Amino acid sequence: MDAKELRELIELISKSNFVTFELEREGFKLKLEKGGAAAPAPQIVVASAPVAAPPQPSPSALAPASTAPPAPADPEEVAAGGLVELTSPIVGTFYRQPSPTAAPFVEPGSRVKKGQVLCIIEAMKLMNEIEAEMDAEVVEILVANGQPVEYGEVLFLLRPMVS
Amino acid sequence: MFRKILIANRGEIALRVILACKELGIKTVAVHSTADADALHVKFADEDVCIGPPPSRDSYLNISAVLSAAEITGAEAIHPGYGFLSENAHFAEVCREVGLTFIGPSPDVIRRMGDKAEAIRVARGAGVPTIPGSDGVLQSEEHAREIAERIGYPVLIKASAGGGGRGMRVVADADELVRLVEAASHEANASFGVPDVYMEKYLTQPRHVEVQVLGDTHGNLIHLFERECSIQRRHQKLVEESPSTALDAELRARMTRAALDAARAVDYVNAGTIEFLLDVTGEFYFIEMNTRIQVEHPVTEMVTGIDLIKEQIRIAAGEPISFSQEDLKIGGHAIECRINAEDPDTFAPSPGKIRTFHVPGGPGIRVDTASYAEAFVPPYYDSMIAKVIAHGNTRGEAILRMRRALESFVVEGIRTNVKLQQRILTDEDFVRGRLSTRFMDRFVPAPRG
Repeated sequence: MDAKELRELIELISKSNFVTFELEREGFKLKLEKGGAAAPAPQIVVASAPVAAPPQPSPSALAPASTAPPAPADPEEVAAGGLVELTSPIVGTFYRQPSPTAAPFVEPGSRVKKGQVLCIIEAMKLMNEIEAEMDAEVVEILVANGQPVEYGEVLFLLRPMVS
Repeated sequence: MFRKILIANRGEIALRVILACKELGIKTVAVHSTADADALHVKFADEDVCIGPPPSRDSYLNISAVLSAAEITGAEAIHPGYGFLSENAHFAEVCREVGLTFIGPSPDVIRRMGDKAEAIRVARGAGVPTIPGSDGVLQSEEHAREIAERIGYPVLIKASAGGGGRGMRVVADADELVRLVEAASHEANASFGVPDVYMEKYLTQPRHVEVQVLGDTHGNLIHLFERECSIQRRHQKLVEESPSTALDAELRARMTRAALDAARAVDYVNAGTIEFLLDVTGEFYFIEMNTRIQVEHPVTEMVTGIDLIKEQIRIAAGEPISFSQEDLKIGGHAIECRINAEDPDTFAPSPGKIRTFHVPGGPGIRVDTASYAEAFVPPYYDSMIAKVIAHGNTRGEAILRMRRALESFVVEGIRTNVKLQQRILTDEDFVRGRLSTRFMDRFVPAPRG
């Protein structure tokens, strides 16, 4: 495995919900572990760059990550830098636009009003519109169009706007 | 055969299904709540999807979340385990509608056998004995007297709308009948707003004996002998074993035949269990059917050598059962102890972080668990953290193996009922096989301090 492949792999794992990742090939063993928390989400969003905090190989990688109580299920959490996470309330498929040919609901930099639709999560053939819960600026969209999302997965980073 | 199965459950049974899938070369998808992000079933599955917050109704019981997880991962079938959605006919129906195979019987059969009154009608129609009684509301004093004479004292009076023991009276003889029927009726009216009561025969020392059955889509229907599950507390089984000490070859033949008759009456497909109460007289009565795999299935696996979960999956994929009735025999004796995260004296639940977790092993011992040192036992779900199964050539050997296994089962950080199980395993009545559903009455919560 060369440096480029390794970097791609780390990036891939960072974006996934794995806490630990192990790969074994002939004469080669790799173990990645995300640093520390039960909920993988906050680490991904604290940085404003799309790549997560670097995973740290750890000798105690088999130890479970946390003893902390379960991750909070609030739809929005305040992250670093005054940004707010908008998480998926359901399992489904993420869509940025109302139909395949339409323009996206929002782009990074868009200013949205409370109640404005930001995306659609399709679950069981039902299109669930996900709305902003406050006036805000869209700082980052963390999920690609058409990507499956879990419950609690962070979809957007928003900067609340004080009116 | 399926390429990918989603397991709509958690804990040891989710892991048990994953192990079976690995042996069959099937990919697995685990679903979990946010409280179970570090659970073993999540770690050992090929893929995992978080489907909701900790409360079961928002995650493991959330039908649309489970189906969405199947959709985004491309699973072809869903194994429901036990509990949660396993006996939910609506869920089985929706699975069918969206083209997913539900690993279990058809929605119609789940619905019929899940309705207690209907299940009893089915059993009776198939010539299977059910508990004799009034078959409906008691109309008058005379009516009550007539039925009591016919079925014999003692009798039990129960509220039609009932539950939780309210509106319930045991009547020992004819002198007490009128007074106690009235008392039950009053209580029923006060508790449920309906004074209606019915009567059935009261069994003083019944055993709970159940028969495991398997049916396939090719018309094969077989039984895998019995399990005795008399040791229960508040209808929660604690110790199960196979075979039962109460059955001889003749009684076993009659009970297994009755179980097959009941299952055949609904053209039963997949794994199911017919539960009976066995009276001291040797009479047995159908009480209900469980249309799913059961917690105590390993004791049957240990004495028959059959992997019930793999059979469930094969049957759901349309394959015939991989063995015949004639291939089966009872090999030795197996006992299962359920290990719960609870205080052994007060029975209070004890969730929290497990610090030490040492699992017993050695000849004849199997432990089904999804717990580990440093794991957190969440307060939201069932308190069972492990099942210890001991197999021996004889019941005596199985008991000795179970005792030494419990001795070396070390759990620290939370309280468990290991000590209670040790008391049961050394109890004289248990050792002699003198069991009934009243067995645990002697093990009342100890006074504090």
